[in-house]
Amino acid sequence: RRSRSKQSSVSSIADDQITDLVSKLQHLIPELRRRRFDKVSTSKVLQETCNYIRSLHREVEDLSDRLSQLLASTDSDSDQAAIIRSLLMQ
Amino acid sequence: MHLPHSTLKQEFVKKWIMGLQRCKFSNKNMSILERKKAIKLSADTAMASARKGLTCWSRALISNPDRPVPTTTRRASSACKKIVKRSRRIRRTAKCGAARKGQITRSIAQCLVRKRTQILKSLIPGGEFMNEVCLIEETLDYITSLRVQVDVMRSLASASARASEPHN
Repeated sequence: RRSRSKQSSVSSIADDQITDLVSKLQHLIPELRRRRFDKVSTSKVLQETCNYIRSLHREVEDLSDRLSQLLASTDSDSDQAAIIRSLLMQ
Repeated sequence: MHLPHSTLKQEFVKKWIMGLQRCKFSNKNMSILERKKAIKLSADTAMASARKGLTCWSRALISNPDRPVPTTTRRASSACKKIVKRSRRIRRTAKCGAARKGQITRSIAQCLVRKRTQILKSLIPGGEFMNEVCLIEETLDYITSLRVQVDVMRSLASASARASEPHN
């Protein structure tokens, strides 16, 4: 009996940890941040997380496209250096 | 392990500049597609190396930068839709007792969580080897890093667009 209660307390620690992590995820995702005070189901959080990551991946693809065209027009090293300087002034 | 946003951004910018200079992206003999791949590769490598080996996803991304990322998983999303449809049908049938309905709803929720966890694993680099706790911790870090990457790339794109406008 003692071992069973020990097992359930270990698994409830993991459950608490997961619940805590899932709520952190909920705060991070813009779609769900407005519903901060509602309880959103884990499956919903996971779904929105996947959608968000996919949209971020798409943005990186699009930006890489745009940059490949914009940077094609840099002829000289000095143009390149100017662009890099603007990167540094973030 | 968790870095403040500004530190992460500085690390990313530093590493990306190094990467861009190395791949000589302004080489005129490059096609636009090659240039795009070089830019994306240098951005991904910079994002991963900014974490300095502290996260699983960053190590996985550095060791396998060209892994195909699934953009749509049609099979998984149609399976999820079937589960949701089935749950609605079951809830409508009056024959089920309340306890039985609760049981079915719970098992459907568990099924959805399992399926969506699988999808998430396919999206995080190295995700297929992670347990649940690790997966969510890595996801939090990965999303933060992706946002920094998008942020910096976007400001470079607008700066370049402004620079290429004809001066009056």
